[in-house]
Amino acid sequence: MEESRHPAPWEDVLGALDGLKIADFSWVGAGPRATKDLADNGATVIKIESARRLDLGRRSPPFADGASKNPDASAFFAQTNTSKKSVTINLGDPRGAEIAKRLVAWSDVAVENFGPGYMERIGLSYAELCKVRPDIILASVSVAGRTGPMAGFRGYGNSAAAHSGHAILSGWPGSEPHMPPFAYGDVVAPMFLTVAILAALEHRDRTGEGGHMDVSQIEPMIHVIADLFADPPAEKPANSDPVMAPHAVYPCAGDDAWIAIATETEAQWAALCDALGSGELRKDERFATMATRKAHEADLDEAIAALTMRHDKNSLADSLAATGVPASAVLDGRDIAESASLKAAGHFVEVDHPVLGRSDMPAPPMRMSATPHHVGPSPCLGEHSEEVFHGILGLSRDDIATLTDEGVLA
Amino acid sequence: MSLLSGTRVVVIADGLTDMGGAMLAALGADVTLAGVTDTPGDAARLAWHRGMRVAEGEDLDALLDDADVFLDGRRSGGGHDDARSGRPGLIHVVANVDNLRETPATDLTLMAASGLMTVIGEPDRPPLRLPGNQAFALTGIQVATAALMGLRARRLTGEGQRIDVSATQSATLANYREAVMYAWTGRVGRRQGNRLVRGSSGVRQVWPCADGYVTWSMIDNPGMMRALVGVMAEHGVAGELAEIDWDGILVADTDQGVIDRWQGIVGAFFAEHTKAELGAWSLKHGWGLSTISTLEEVRGSEHLAARGFWQDVPDGKGGTVKLPGPLFLRHAPPGVQREEAAE
Repeated sequence: MEESRHPAPWEDVLGALDGLKIADFSWVGAGPRATKDLADNGATVIKIESARRLDLGRRSPPFADGASKNPDASAFFAQTNTSKKSVTINLGDPRGAEIAKRLVAWSDVAVENFGPGYMERIGLSYAELCKVRPDIILASVSVAGRTGPMAGFRGYGNSAAAHSGHAILSGWPGSEPHMPPFAYGDVVAPMFLTVAILAALEHRDRTGEGGHMDVSQIEPMIHVIADLFADPPAEKPANSDPVMAPHAVYPCAGDDAWIAIATETEAQWAALCDALGSGELRKDERFATMATRKAHEADLDEAIAALTMRHDKNSLADSLAATGVPASAVLDGRDIAESASLKAAGHFVEVDHPVLGRSDMPAPPMRMSATPHHVGPSPCLGEHSEEVFHGILGLSRDDIATLTDEGVLA
Repeated sequence: MSLLSGTRVVVIADGLTDMGGAMLAALGADVTLAGVTDTPGDAARLAWHRGMRVAEGEDLDALLDDADVFLDGRRSGGGHDDARSGRPGLIHVVANVDNLRETPATDLTLMAASGLMTVIGEPDRPPLRLPGNQAFALTGIQVATAALMGLRARRLTGEGQRIDVSATQSATLANYREAVMYAWTGRVGRRQGNRLVRGSSGVRQVWPCADGYVTWSMIDNPGMMRALVGVMAEHGVAGELAEIDWDGILVADTDQGVIDRWQGIVGAFFAEHTKAELGAWSLKHGWGLSTISTLEEVRGSEHLAARGFWQDVPDGKGGTVKLPGPLFLRHAPPGVQREEAAE
């Protein structure tokens, strides 16, 4: 069935998830980030898309050469969907839904993040999927989860921040709630989805039983601030810490240049004073202990800021780190994109893509000694349709052509 | 939850591994806290060490002899490079600040290195971090993921392995927007307060209402705009918004002065209504609006209660504290009736 070809060198290396098969119905960010984790580690992830209902990720900037109409030109999509395959199926056509079901029958896991009720309406509910693959693992991620009074909630990226306490706790003390310009819920929830899928696989390996994993975006957002629910702060914490001082962001020389500095120990405090060349700070009784520094934090921060603003942010961060003081320049998008250390660590890997060309893609933040990850290109829309429909599902090429012409595989 | 029942995990906690251990415990693993190398406060200990059994006088080697997974936090240095010696099945997850070099770090400095802080907060004030210890949390989730990847790989190879997780990379990976925007457009993101800037204009994200705040943005979603304006029209307050063909305009390309005028009409409507009213309308009509909850409201959420989300955990002082419970719900296959089915 599958056409023979020469394997790439990395294909000889076992990935942690080799052999795992995923039918990926998810789109935009929350689902695809989880299936990227799986695909980069060797799972075969088949992304089920439609040219008629294009993944909004393919419409998200930035675009190669500004080609916003080209579904394969989005760098946002590319970095979110590395190492996957893509087929096009019109799920609104019952024949398309039946083919999708056959793909689920082939899969270990199906992943979706559609609006409430969509999978049921097209005949792909969990109960239906169990009929074609009794031990299937269905992994769903949605704003509020699939059960409960808010199960029908339709939100956007920042909804989970609003409902979890993040928005009310973000910003400066005394200010209105703050919404950063990125959807943190679209970061945390897919990480929980990855964990849910891997844990469900472990369970299935032991028991033979699948299950429906129901991940809400709100709940992981609460989990990651569980300490603030254990002891709610009287005011927004901003950059402060309940114990540590100094623990803040200070100005450096240059436009919008900042350094973050924190000290956990007296030794670090002494090293900071020495590095800043300030014997005065060390002698000041207000700053003699962590507790007194915390009590005079505003004065402390003002004194440190007067010293840091003479320095280059990177040079100062390097010199502080060398003396054991936790410090980092506040990096921006350019710093990250051009970071030699991130590149050396394998955070970004260069991947060839037919539209984007050779470009950096983010890799998993871990190195597995025996089963390394491999980051491949994101798929062009429908790039693997024939490979999957013919090679995996066994459809004849004539049938594929007919169904494509009739808009079923489109 | 019992997905990982029987899996034995040993943790050296240092901030980077704590949440990973707590997650594996929440999934049913038998997790032993063998050491703590930093000094977490009471709240952090309650939040991140729950579900773990604290080792009492037990030798680390003896614990590792029986373990499937070892979470070895190295933010404070140290470490156990020989953990797999004589234990080929052990999955040794090492959490480093940076996989290539030893460097001191706290959550704050890791967040600064992530590139996220530079876009959080107000344009005229210093960069801000997210609430809580998000770099630690992000690393902890990757630590749990690494452990589970290792378990899966062990089924393929029959052997464990060492897995090095980078906290710097874990935090930076959350920054899905800034580096790629610079790489492809040359634009460097800066702090914009609560404005969402798209195209040539910016729209508001946070709005006061009668009893608090809601979040909603005037974005290019014609159906959503029609749904909102429809309700405003029913109340006789839609004004010029009722005359706009939302399919025929692009908010992102509309003059800022016009947007501000339109937002003024919406803002006056929101200010007259409560979070409950606005939230109910949004749910019914699909506005995409969310009410901004206080911590008390999050704790008291009927929705979260219906999902069995909160757990009362002993606070060590004779009382209890309400903390998050299940990581997610698991619905068992049809026909399978078990108590644990809907965790």
